[in-house]
Amino acid sequence: MRLLKTGRWITAVGLVLLAGVYVRALAFTPVERTQGMAQKIFYLHLPAAIWAEGAMILVGVASIFFLFLKDPRLDRFAEASAEVGLVFCTLVLTTGPIWGKPIWGTWWTWDARLTLTLLLFLMYVGYLLLRGAVTDPGLKARYAAVLGICGMCLVPFVHLSVVMFRTLHPQPIVIKPSAPSLPGEMLETLAFSFLVFTVLWVGFVIQRYGLSLVREQAEPHA
Amino acid sequence: MPENTPYMVAAYVITAVILVGYAGLLYRRTLKP
Repeated sequence: MRLLKTGRWITAVGLVLLAGVYVRALAFTPVERTQGMAQKIFYLHLPAAIWAEGAMILVGVASIFFLFLKDPRLDRFAEASAEVGLVFCTLVLTTGPIWGKPIWGTWWTWDARLTLTLLLFLMYVGYLLLRGAVTDPGLKARYAAVLGICGMCLVPFVHLSVVMFRTLHPQPIVIKPSAPSLPGEMLETLAFSFLVFTVLWVGFVIQRYGLSLVREQAEPHA
Repeated sequence: MPENTPYMVAAYVITAVILVGYAGLLYRRTLKP
C-alpha cells in the first residue's frame, strides 16, 4: 500500500536525520557553562515535548470535526496521532527525570509541570485503552472523540503550568512572547532537532494511519 | 561538568532506543496488519 510505503520512507529519512541531530548537538554545539553536558538533553526533550502536546491538540481538533462530520478519516487520524503522541510523551517523561537528577538533585518532584505532563501521558494511555475496550466502531469513535477533546483541553494547562504555578521546571526560553533567550548556535541545533522530530511524527502518523486503514479494509465490521 | 556526561549519554541512548524501537514495531505491524 502506497501510504505505508510513504510513511516508512519518511520515518527512515527521519531516523537518518536524527543521527545528524546527535552529531550536531554533541560535536558542533557549545557546552552550556552551568549545566555542562546535561544541558544537551534539552535538544531532545523540548522537541519531544512540543510534539507530545501538539499531537494531543491535533487529536482534539480532529475529534471535534469528527463529531460534526462523522468522517472516519478524522477518527483514524486522531487514533494515529494519539499513539505517536504517547511515544513522544514517553520520551519527555524519560529524558526529563534524567536531566532533572544532575540539575535539581532529584529524578522526580510532584510540581505542576511534571504532574500535568504525567496526566497528559495517562490521558494518552486512557484514550488508547478506551479504543481497545469498545468493540462497536461507531461508539468507539464517539467515546474516543470526547476523551480526545478532554485531552486537548489539558494541553494549555501543561504548557502554562510554569507560569501559573511555582515550579522547579524552568520558564519557557524559546516559545514565549519575547524573543528566544538562547544563543544562535543552540537555537539552530534546537530548530534542526524540532524539524527532525516533525519528520518522524509525520512518518509515524502516516504509517499508523495506513495500518488502521488496512485493518479496516481487511475486517470492515471490526 | 564532566560528571553530568553519563546522564546525557543515557538520555540520548534511551531516545534512540524508543524512536528506533517504535519505528521497528510499526514496520513489523504494517508487514502483517
